[in-house]
Amino acid sequence: MTAIDSHLTHAELDHLVQPHRVHRRIYTDPQIFDVEMTRVFAASWCYVGHESEIPEPGDYRTTTLGRRPVLMTRDRDGAVNVLLNRCTHRGTVLAVEAGGCAKRFVCPYHGWTFAPDGQLVAIPFPADHPVEDRSSLSLGRLETASYRGFVFATLNAEPEPLDCWLGEAREAFDAIVDRHPGGEIAVMGSPQLLEFVGNWKLSWDNAADGLHATFAHESYNTLGEMVDTETVLARDPGSTPMVSKALRNGHMVVDQRPGIPQGPWATMRKVPFREPMETTLVDAGDADLLDLATGSMVNLSLFPNLLFVGNQLLVIEPVAVDRTRLQLWLTSAPGAPAEIDLLRLRVDEDFVNFGTPDDLDMFERVQRGLSIPEMEWIDMSRGLPDDVGAGDDATIHGPITSEAPQRRYLAHYAKLMTNPAPTRAR
Amino acid sequence: MARYDELAGLLGGMDSRPQADPDLSAAAAAAVVHEARLLDAGRFEDWLAGWTSDAVLWVPLSAPTHPGTDQSLLLDDRRRLAERVDWRREPSAWGQHPPSRTTRVVGSVEAWPAPGNGIVTRSTLLVDEFRHGRHQALAGYQIHELVGDGLMRRTKILVVPALGTGVRNPSFLL
Ligand code: FES
Ligand SMILES: [Fe+2]
Repeated sequence: MTAIDSHLTHAELDHLVQPHRVHRRIYTDPQIFDVEMTRVFAASWCYVGHESEIPEPGDYRTTTLGRRPVLMTRDRDGAVNVLLNRCTHRGTVLAVEAGGCAKRFVCPYHGWTFAPDGQLVAIPFPADHPVEDRSSLSLGRLETASYRGFVFATLNAEPEPLDCWLGEAREAFDAIVDRHPGGEIAVMGSPQLLEFVGNWKLSWDNAADGLHATFAHESYNTLGEMVDTETVLARDPGSTPMVSKALRNGHMVVDQRPGIPQGPWATMRKVPFREPMETTLVDAGDADLLDLATGSMVNLSLFPNLLFVGNQLLVIEPVAVDRTRLQLWLTSAPGAPAEIDLLRLRVDEDFVNFGTPDDLDMFERVQRGLSIPEMEWIDMSRGLPDDVGAGDDATIHGPITSEAPQRRYLAHYAKLMTNPAPTRAR
Repeated sequence: MARYDELAGLLGGMDSRPQADPDLSAAAAAAVVHEARLLDAGRFEDWLAGWTSDAVLWVPLSAPTHPGTDQSLLLDDRRRLAERVDWRREPSAWGQHPPSRTTRVVGSVEAWPAPGNGIVTRSTLLVDEFRHGRHQALAGYQIHELVGDGLMRRTKILVVPALGTGVRNPSFLL
């Protein structure tokens, strides 16, 4: 065992993550953060990107997985690869742009050249290089699998198949994709990137938190009231029929649909340039498609790095124990009239401008509060006891004020941290 | 949409413009610097009054780009500009309460005549934001289309390259 591992014993983790409360250290301890980057991020299936972002052979995109620079590529045969973005010679990061198209990745340091499938295809001055088997010098690969066009990758040596890992979450996943005409969903070009001075789990604690909407987002709801619009967040969290679900593997769902009988479009204030686009759709007899311009109203969170919120994919990138970057990607509906995506662009900005700043402020305030060593605990007891019914794997259903989703993902987190799965590059 | 194309054209054509007109540049500088002072002083209602009814404020995430194809930080019409001022006045808008204290440094103001007695102007901008005991400085440039005798703002495009790399709560950017 390394020093870092012994620093975090099984018993200690049990102490830090209890059913009704968690310890501040899991948000503030840099050594715990370092362990998470492998035991949580490398060992889980993480969302990397969407196939629609790399339609042609040679297209690629860069991102990180548990702080590791990775590349998602489409190779000559049309297959999607997720590779470690690190030259196998001396370690140089190969691609530094957000994305692009490259037939080859030529390392700028000494010219080693890799194909989009990761194969080492050329070494300059090969005569004096002793390596005979070049395949041993291919780029590091991650196990890669797609669900409905969404690409996930893992360094887990023996991962559960992606479908099983998603499990019950597939129901919400399908609902989000299937409302798009033809089941076609795509991801638009470049993300918005936001950072906060706080631990990545703060965004996770928030993702299925139905109570905060009333308080943290009061100003968003007030803007709605000013124009007689009841926003989706303005519902009484204690009595709304919206449902929260805590699933196996730390996944979470908040299904808001039962709480908005008038449909999603009715919850939206007017966005810029709404009128001409709405008129075009209504005149074409497509008024019922307007709901597509807003989110599905099913918030799905796939542990540890992907949240579906509105029409956005929110990808959580841990940067440091007290620093997190959020990638906000916008999805489009290629099978719908063009007005839907045009509206989505403006709808998307609405919450990012009038809601997200409040969340970011809460995350930073919590991180500051957690700096106090004498106040050790974070309460997570609302809604206890949890009815696990059929057993550990069963979904827990509850009102949106329940903290069951937070308890459940943290229990899964503790399991990953205390029973580390071996990880490796292929 | 015509207005979107107009915005993309204004942004995309900026780098190839010829040397600016000195007299127009001086007039534009007074207007642009005044706007910066209103924002730094938190005089948002006065700032709102300086926009035309067909105003657009656009903060793209990169340049060149088109407002109908890529996400932006924001693209506001006059209605949303007014909402923005309302939001800032809401005590529960935690993302701006307490408010950011900003210092805008405007420089390199260039201006050219625009169709219909208007002015198009480009200036560089450095905004330092101080909030919650921390500060961040963002630099970029802004394009204004100013119209009429009062040089009312019809269009403003703010380009901040750091938005492409991840910034903290950017709700002070206007
Ligand atoms: S480090 Fe890449 S070729 Fe040397
Ligand atoms: Fe929120």
